[in-house]
Amino acid sequence: MRKILVGPLWFVGFDSLMEFVAFIIALAVAYQAFKGYRLTKQKTLLYVHFSFALLSAGLLIDSLAGFLGILARTLRGAVAVTVVGYAIYFLAQALAYGILIFAYVSQTRTMSTASISLWITPLLGSVTLQAAQAPPIKLLGPLVEYHPVSEIVLLFLVFYITVQTGLNYSATKDGNALLVFLGFLLLALSHLLFILTPVGAVLFVIGHVLQLLGFVSLLAMLLRVTSSK
Amino acid sequence: MTQKLPKYRSQMRIYVDVMRVIQREDNRAKPTRILYGANLSHDRLIKYLEELKTLGVIEEVANEDDRFYKLTQKGIEFLNQFRAIERFAGAFGFAI
Repeated sequence: MRKILVGPLWFVGFDSLMEFVAFIIALAVAYQAFKGYRLTKQKTLLYVHFSFALLSAGLLIDSLAGFLGILARTLRGAVAVTVVGYAIYFLAQALAYGILIFAYVSQTRTMSTASISLWITPLLGSVTLQAAQAPPIKLLGPLVEYHPVSEIVLLFLVFYITVQTGLNYSATKDGNALLVFLGFLLLALSHLLFILTPVGAVLFVIGHVLQLLGFVSLLAMLLRVTSSK
Repeated sequence: MTQKLPKYRSQMRIYVDVMRVIQREDNRAKPTRILYGANLSHDRLIKYLEELKTLGVIEEVANEDDRFYKLTQKGIEFLNQFRAIERFAGAFGFAI
C-alpha cells in the first residue's frame, strides 16, 4: 500500500487543498444521489450515494491528514498521521469504486460487461501480485515512501468504471454522460500518473491536477442536471 | 451502453408516465388519453389515478359532461425533481 506520497516540496499543501475541493464535489454528488434515492427508491442511486460518500470521506481524511502533517512537521507524529490518512483514503476509494462497479454489474449484466470482467479480474490479480513484490519507492528522504500497489488497484477499478461510462456515452451521445466519462477518465489518468511518480515528481503534480479536473467535470454534470429545466 | 431493461415498469415509472401524459396534454388529460399514453389497462389506470390523487400530485376535475385530470403544484415540482434525477442517473448509465 502507498504509505506517503508528497511529490515536490513546493507542492506540499496544494495537494491537500485540491483534495479538499474534490471532497466538496464528491459530497455534492453523493447528496444528489441520495435525493434521487429518496424520490425514486432506486437501489442503483443508493449505491452511487454510498460510493461518492465514501470517496468524499476518504478525500476529506487524506486532505486533513495532509494539512495536519504540514502543521506538525516538526513533531514525530506527523508521518504517522499522513500514513494513516493515506491508508484510509485508499481503502475508502477502493470500496467506493467497488460499490460503483457492483452497481454497474447488477444493472447491466451484458456481454460487454461480462467480457470486461473476464479479462480485467485476472489482469488485476497478476499485476497486483507483481507489484506487491516491488519494494516501496522512496523519494525526498524518509518523508516520501510509496508503494505502487494501491494506485494500481485503484487504476483498474476506475478503468472499469471509465469503460462503462464511455460505453454509456457512446450509446447516448449525451453531454452529461460525456462529462461523467471525462471525469472518470481523468481520475484513471491521475492514478496512472501517481504510479509513474518515480519517473518524475512533476507527474505527481499533474496527477493531482487531473484528479481535481475529473471532479470538476463531475461538478459540471451536476450543475447541468440540476439547473436545466 | 446496453442496459438491462427491467421486465416490468416500476410503480414509480408508471406514476411518472401517467403524470407526463397529463403534462403533455397541456395539464388537462382525459382518462382515455392517459390510458393510451401510459399504456395501462382500465383497472390499473383507475388504481394509479387514485393513488396519485391520494399523493396529492394530480387532481380530478369533473363537471356535467367532462372529466379530466391535471397536475397539482406538488405534481409539477415532483416531475421537475424527477427529471433532474433521471438525467443524473442517465449520466452514469443507470436507468430509473
